[in-house]
Amino acid sequence: MRRSLTLVIVMLLALSLVLTACGPKAPAEEPTPGEEPAAGEKVLRFHIGAEPPALDQQIATDTYAIMLGNHLYEGLVRVYDGDIQPGMAESWEISEDGLTYTFHLRDAVWNDGEPVTAHDFEYGIKRLLDPATASEYAYQGYYILNGEAYNTGKITDPSQVGVKALDDKTLEIKLENPTGYFLSLTNFISLFPVRQDFVETHGTAYASEADKILYNGPFIMTEWRHEDGLVLEKNDKYWNKDAIKIDRVEIAIVTDSNTAMGMYEAGDLDFVMLPAARVQEFIDNGQAKFYYDGAEFYFQFNVKGKTPETGKFTGNANFRKALGFAIDRQSFVDAVLKNGSDPATRYVLPLLAGVNDTFAEEYPYEFYSKNADVDKAKEYLNKALEEIGATADQIPTFEYLTDDSDTARISAEAIQDMLKRNLGINIEIKQVPFKQRLELMTALDYDIVFAGWGPDYDDPLTYLDLWVIGGGNNDSGWEDQTYTDMINFIRTSPDLKARADKMFEAEKYLLENGPVVPVYFRRRAWIHVDGLTGLVRNFIGADPDFTYADITR
Amino acid sequence: MIRYIIKRFFVSLITVWILATLTFFLVRALPGDPFSSEKITPEIKANMMKYYGLDKPLPVQYVTYMTNLLKGDMGYSLRYKNREVNAIIADAFPASAELGIRSLIFSITVGLILGIIAALNHNKGWDYISMIIAVIGVSVPSFVVGALVQYLFGIHWKILPVAQWKSFAHTIMPTFSLGLGTLALIARLMRTSMLEVVGQDYIKTAKAKGLSPIQVTVKHQIRNAILPVVTVLGPIAAALLTGTFVVEQIFAIPGLGRHYVLSIQNLDYTMVLGLTIFFGAFLVFMNFLVDIAYGFVDPRIRVGK
Repeated sequence: MRRSLTLVIVMLLALSLVLTACGPKAPAEEPTPGEEPAAGEKVLRFHIGAEPPALDQQIATDTYAIMLGNHLYEGLVRVYDGDIQPGMAESWEISEDGLTYTFHLRDAVWNDGEPVTAHDFEYGIKRLLDPATASEYAYQGYYILNGEAYNTGKITDPSQVGVKALDDKTLEIKLENPTGYFLSLTNFISLFPVRQDFVETHGTAYASEADKILYNGPFIMTEWRHEDGLVLEKNDKYWNKDAIKIDRVEIAIVTDSNTAMGMYEAGDLDFVMLPAARVQEFIDNGQAKFYYDGAEFYFQFNVKGKTPETGKFTGNANFRKALGFAIDRQSFVDAVLKNGSDPATRYVLPLLAGVNDTFAEEYPYEFYSKNADVDKAKEYLNKALEEIGATADQIPTFEYLTDDSDTARISAEAIQDMLKRNLGINIEIKQVPFKQRLELMTALDYDIVFAGWGPDYDDPLTYLDLWVIGGGNNDSGWEDQTYTDMINFIRTSPDLKARADKMFEAEKYLLENGPVVPVYFRRRAWIHVDGLTGLVRNFIGADPDFTYADITR
Repeated sequence: MIRYIIKRFFVSLITVWILATLTFFLVRALPGDPFSSEKITPEIKANMMKYYGLDKPLPVQYVTYMTNLLKGDMGYSLRYKNREVNAIIADAFPASAELGIRSLIFSITVGLILGIIAALNHNKGWDYISMIIAVIGVSVPSFVVGALVQYLFGIHWKILPVAQWKSFAHTIMPTFSLGLGTLALIARLMRTSMLEVVGQDYIKTAKAKGLSPIQVTVKHQIRNAILPVVTVLGPIAAALLTGTFVVEQIFAIPGLGRHYVLSIQNLDYTMVLGLTIFFGAFLVFMNFLVDIAYGFVDPRIRVGK
């Protein structure tokens, strides 16, 4: 008996030794149950699905970092609910030709009290484009004169890049082409300012912990417990602090959507995304809210085909349209996705900006119908067979590439069934991990892939320019000079109306001839507690935006 | 004893080295690369590969990695770009280890008691009750147990916090969910082992010597029956302490568990390697502890004397 006891003690001692040796930080042991926020303090609590991999302005790429960046930092302008508001820049002028932007900065400070200067912006943008930074989002600076050339090593002198601090308070940015949406782009995290001395002091550890970051936004981060949670507090030095009502933001990192839902129901969170299985329940009780998250999903065809045999079909525009009309988009979103998503009857996301209103308002269009149009599908298929010179029984089985998630599997099976039933076409589903799917797409090693795209900026071009000849993301083998010419016109035209007309023309041309068949625009369902107001859900950039939100309990 | 420990140490070192080498080449054989994403351009990707030294020939990368590893440097994560693998593991391990130790203590204590009760009441009511608990524990996976207790105690009755890792109350449900399977395993093992021992000659001798039933059970039966349980404790402890994906995910615990899955999904080479080496070294170490522990439990296996 004595020996067994010794054994247990020895084991426990060894374990505790191992623990202390490996863990510099004590496990988060802060008993909080029952602890109520201080009287009058307004606390907002929600969750994010993963640890933000990086909060460094020029390194960050993921959706959570972009969301946090919008609240911790501030760029030249602030985009709030679609409106451009002055940010660090108080005012700005745009030259006649739309190529030169001159920004006049306000008297704003970093959280250590030092002023935010034009040099901080110049440094940030050059840091983004410097090949030595190895920034994944460097292309966000390609609109700027010589940005791409510098980033890809064609020029090595950073002073040739079109960004210059004329003095502490004046920043001049020269562009490659007139870019109507450039102002809103300056609200993107990659173009945010950083202070050279601070970055150089911390080196690679910059922005790796809460105290290794300088803040100039409405909030500062006071705690970053990796993989666990973050705490944001109102920034007392923010220039517009009187407009900020929330005092403290507690963000939990919770991966499992059902767990997050449980926390919401237990009163630990103030708003939450609805897991697919619970959406209907909250539609019924009237609490569910929906918003577009910007993502669009579509079939993308490899026009060369995985084999020459399948390529004869996927390379035929009428065949592609036949598949497009054979899909019942409405029942797909209702029965398979169940998240309030919208059937995509056109290619451009309905919310993107037109000249004065949304593009969809100014250029209404419906190419595909919401429900399957079997007659039209068969008509296109017959045309295609005639052009190819094949009969219906010679149609091969196509490889349908998709992600390895459960949703992807169910979606693929629904599509498989619709194509089989409406057209007699067989597809073989191939599920692979995300990164492998991208690799197979780049290698043109597929027939049809279920792919998606999210907008980078508020302009239809963000979707349309994917399909140009030589486009970095055009993994379809489709090379069309007419289409590429249209896009080049759109890219360089300073005339907003002519440009929008051309975008509409390009969209119609793409649906008629291109390698894509849109399926749905994703929407997300969420709920929030009573008393939460002013929280904005965005389809582009930072989502959610709680800058001006308020909460009363 | 010292000679044995030194020998074991070197064998362990070689084991970990082989493990690291295999992992290094296997993870590179996975299709895709760490920086592929929907929006990246080929030029930017090439630049990033160069920045992280992934454009060099594989053998060169291997030598660089191993040299750094000898210095204790496992490099930067390719996903959490500003953080070192060492720091990520050091951040996440304490939560996993704390959960693991709690589960271990819970499952050993309750498991042994259940096993002993079952064996002493062989084919009687208590035996059946214990074994029903054990069968449930073995066959119901932790994600079911986790989700179930989370719903009942967290959401329905609101007795315990639903998730996260903050106070003692937060640890109860995860500890139970993680420990239940091990508890069942230990209970069954202990019962079987106790029943085997009961027929041995030395038990008869002890009884014949007129020792009280309690003395026979505690001093002779349990002492001898516990050996197989000690054997499995090494790997079990290593597995529990280094984090588990499912339970940590359900209860949103900031442990190592999710890194095992995510690092592979992200093809975060340095992270995959770091975790494998960490887990491998830990497993080897726990087995070593168990070997030493044998000596205390069973004098017949005392090493090196």
